[in-house]
Amino acid sequence: MPADQPRAADNPFEEPDDIDEAALTAVLRTVPLGAAVLAGGAVALLVLAYLLIYLWIFLPRGVVG
Amino acid sequence: MSDRSHEIPERWILHTELLWAFGVGVLVAATISIIVFTALTRNINPPSNVERVDPKTLHLSGEFAEQNLGTVVAADGTVTARIIATQFMFAPHCIAVPQRRPVTLRFASPDVIHGILITGTNVNTMVVPGYVAQVHTEFTRTGELLMPCHEYCGLGHSEMWANVQVLPAAEVKPDRDGRVTCAQH
Amino acid sequence: MRNTERLCLAHLWLAFAAFVGAAVLGAWQMWVRSPLGAHTGTPGDYYMSVTAHGVAMAYVLSTFFIMGFGYFVAVTALNRPLPGKGWAWAGFVVGVIGVLMALVTIGLGKASVLYTFYPPLTASPWFYLGLVVVVLASWVWCVLMLVSLAAWKRENPGRPVPLAMFATVANAVLWLWTTVGLAVELFYQVLPAALGFVQTVDVGLSRTLFSWTLHAIVYFWLIPAYIAFYTMVPRAAGGRLYSDTMGRLTFIFFLIYSLPVGLHHLLMDPEHGNSFKFIQVLLTAFVAAPTVLTIFTIPASLEIAGRLRGGRGVFGWILALPWDRPMVLAAGLSFVMLFFGGLGGLINMAYGMNAMIHNTAWVTAHFHLIYGGTSVIMYFAIAYEIWPRLTGRQHQSLAPLRWQLWLWFVGMMVMTLPWHWLGLQGQWRRVANFNYDNPIIASWGPLVIVSLAGGLVLLASALLFVRNLAVLHRSVLPAPTRSLYALAVDPPRRVPAALNGFGLWNVLVLVVMLLAYGFPIAQFVVAPSPSAIVHRTE
Repeated sequence: MPADQPRAADNPFEEPDDIDEAALTAVLRTVPLGAAVLAGGAVALLVLAYLLIYLWIFLPRGVVG
Repeated sequence: MSDRSHEIPERWILHTELLWAFGVGVLVAATISIIVFTALTRNINPPSNVERVDPKTLHLSGEFAEQNLGTVVAADGTVTARIIATQFMFAPHCIAVPQRRPVTLRFASPDVIHGILITGTNVNTMVVPGYVAQVHTEFTRTGELLMPCHEYCGLGHSEMWANVQVLPAAEVKPDRDGRVTCAQH
Repeated sequence: MRNTERLCLAHLWLAFAAFVGAAVLGAWQMWVRSPLGAHTGTPGDYYMSVTAHGVAMAYVLSTFFIMGFGYFVAVTALNRPLPGKGWAWAGFVVGVIGVLMALVTIGLGKASVLYTFYPPLTASPWFYLGLVVVVLASWVWCVLMLVSLAAWKRENPGRPVPLAMFATVANAVLWLWTTVGLAVELFYQVLPAALGFVQTVDVGLSRTLFSWTLHAIVYFWLIPAYIAFYTMVPRAAGGRLYSDTMGRLTFIFFLIYSLPVGLHHLLMDPEHGNSFKFIQVLLTAFVAAPTVLTIFTIPASLEIAGRLRGGRGVFGWILALPWDRPMVLAAGLSFVMLFFGGLGGLINMAYGMNAMIHNTAWVTAHFHLIYGGTSVIMYFAIAYEIWPRLTGRQHQSLAPLRWQLWLWFVGMMVMTLPWHWLGLQGQWRRVANFNYDNPIIASWGPLVIVSLAGGLVLLASALLFVRNLAVLHRSVLPAPTRSLYALAVDPPRRVPAALNGFGLWNVLVLVVMLLAYGFPIAQFVVAPSPSAIVHRTE
C-alpha cells in the first residue's frame, strides 16, 4: 500500500471523480442555503402537521390515562 | 496549499451542520415540551396501571368472576366496567357507559394477548394475560361505538368485537346492584 | 471483485425471490380484506399468508439483502478480498436451510402466528428453529464484516475507514446487539414451550424481550438506505458528500439509540409503568437525530451536484439534478416517503398520543411506508447500481428502471395514505375479513379499495424489478468501470479513533441498555408475571 499522500484524492480507497475543484469552491459559497431552506421547510411542515393532529384530532377525542 | 484550502470549507461545513442541529434541536425540544405539559396538566398518559392477576384463575372468583362483569355504578358514584377478553369474544358483548362521567375500564385475559380500541375515542390498550389493563376516560358523545380486539389472537381474531353504548345521563338507570346494561333496540 | 460476485448474487437473488412471493401474497391479502373479495378464503388461509408475507419481507428480504450488499461493500470499498469466503458460503447455505424450515412449516399451516409470534400463541418448533438458523447465519456475516474491517485496519494503520464500510460494520454491530432480545426470548421461553418442555410462559417478559429486537431491527433494515444516501447518491448525482464526519456520526447515533427505545412499541401494554415508557420515549427522540442530520446533509450534497450542473437560486439546483439516473430518482422518492413515514413515526412515539393509533391501520401504513417505501426503494436502487459490477454487464436502457421506481412510489403512497386515515377511524389490524354489513365498517370500504389499487401497482412494480435484474444478466453491453462511492467535499486524511471504530460506542450501548432495559427486564426475573398457559396453534 502506498504511504500517505498529501492529497486525499490519491487515497487508494477513494477513486477520484471528475469534479473541478475551482467549480466546487465556487458553489460552496452558496451551499447549503438551498438544502437549509428545503430541509427547514420540511421540518417546519412536519412540526406543524404534528401539532395540528395533536390539537385537532387527538385532544378532542377525550382525556385518557 | 491543499491543507489550508481544505480546512476552511470543512470548518464552515461543520459550522452549518451544528447550526442546523441546534435549530432543529430547539424545535424538537419545544414540541416535546408542549406534549409533556399538556400530558401533565390534563393527565393524559398511556395505560400504565401495573396490576398483576393470574390468568389461570380469573373466572373462578374475585373481580373478574362472571357475575361481576359489565358496568357497575358504585355507592360513591364511580363507574367501573369490567370486561374479559378471551378467544374469540368479549364478556359482556355490549358495554354500557354514561356520557360525560369518569369511567374506569378494566380488562383481563385468561388466555392469549388481546387488545382493544374504542372507535372515535382515545381508549386503547393491550390486554396481556397476567395483568389487568386499566383505562380511565370520559366519553364525550352518545352513540354506539365499536370495540374490536385489535391484536392477533388466533384464527377467530376477525370475529372478536364488542359494542360500547354511550348513554345520555338520563338513560343511565343502575339496577339494585348498581349494574348498567345496554339498552335493547 | 475478487470472485465474490456469485456470493453476493446468491444472497440478493434469494432476498428478491422471497420479496416477489411476499408481494403476491400481500396483494391477495388486500383483495380478501376489501369489499371486492369479502368472502374469499378462510381465516386459516389469510393468517398463513400474513405470516409468510411478514417473515419473507421482514426476515428474508431484509437480512439476505443486507448480507449480500455487505459482502459487496467489504470487497469494493476496502479494495481487498473477503476473508473467510468459505465461511460466508457456509453461512448462506445454513441461511437457506433456515428459510426453508420456516416457510415450509408456515405453508403446512403449523405456524400461523405472524412474524411477531407473540406468546402464549405457540407454533410448531420447526418454525422457530428455522428463524434461529437464519439468525445464526446472519451472525456469520457479522463476524466476517468485523474480521474484514480488522484486517484492513492492520494493513492500513491510521487511515480513515471508508465510510461505506464503517457504516456496514456499524450495522453489523447493531445487528449483533439487536438479536440478543429475540435470541433470549426464543431460547429461554418460546422454544421450550414449542417443544413441550414447559406449559406456561411469562408474557410480560416475552413482550419486553421482543421489543428489544423489534425496534432496533427496523434500523438494521434502514441503514443500507442511508449507506446509499451517504456514499452512492452524491456520486451518482455528480457531486460530493457534504460532510464525511456527519456521515460517521449518523451511523454511530443509529448504533447507540436504535436499541434502548423498544418500549415505545409497548406504550399500550399493562406490564410496564409510565416511568420507563417515558424514559424510552425521550431516547426515541434521540434516535430521530441522525435522520434529522441526514435530511440536511444529503440535500446539501445534492445541492453541490445541482449547482455544479448549473442550477441557480434557492431551488434551481433541484431541477438541475440528473433525475434520469435511478439512484438519484430513488433517493428523491425515498425522501418524500421519509417525510410521511417520519411524521407517522413521530406520532406513534408521542407517549399518550400512541393511544390514538395503536394497532390500527395507521401502524400498518407507517411501517409499509418507512420500510417498504423509504428503505426498500433504496434496496432497488442499490441493486440496479451494483448489478453491473456483479454481472459484468450494463443495463441496456434505464427507462424500465425509472418506471419501476415510480410505480413503487405511486403504489406505496396510494396504498398507505388511505390506511392512515382508516386507522384514525379505528380500522384495526390483522383482520381476515371485515363485516361490511356493519355501517361503521361499510364506510371504510371505498378507501380500502383505493388502498387495494395501490397494492396492485406495487405488485406490478415488484415484478418489473425482478424482470429488470433478470434482463441485465443477458445484456450485451459491458459494465462501465466507474466508481460507485462518493468523495467528501473534504476527504479526511485522519479521523479520531472514535469515528473510526466501535470500541467506545459498544461501551456506550451497554450503559444505555442497562439504564433503559435493565429494570424492565430484571423485574420479570426477580418477580415473574403470573404465567399464561401455552396455546398451541398447529
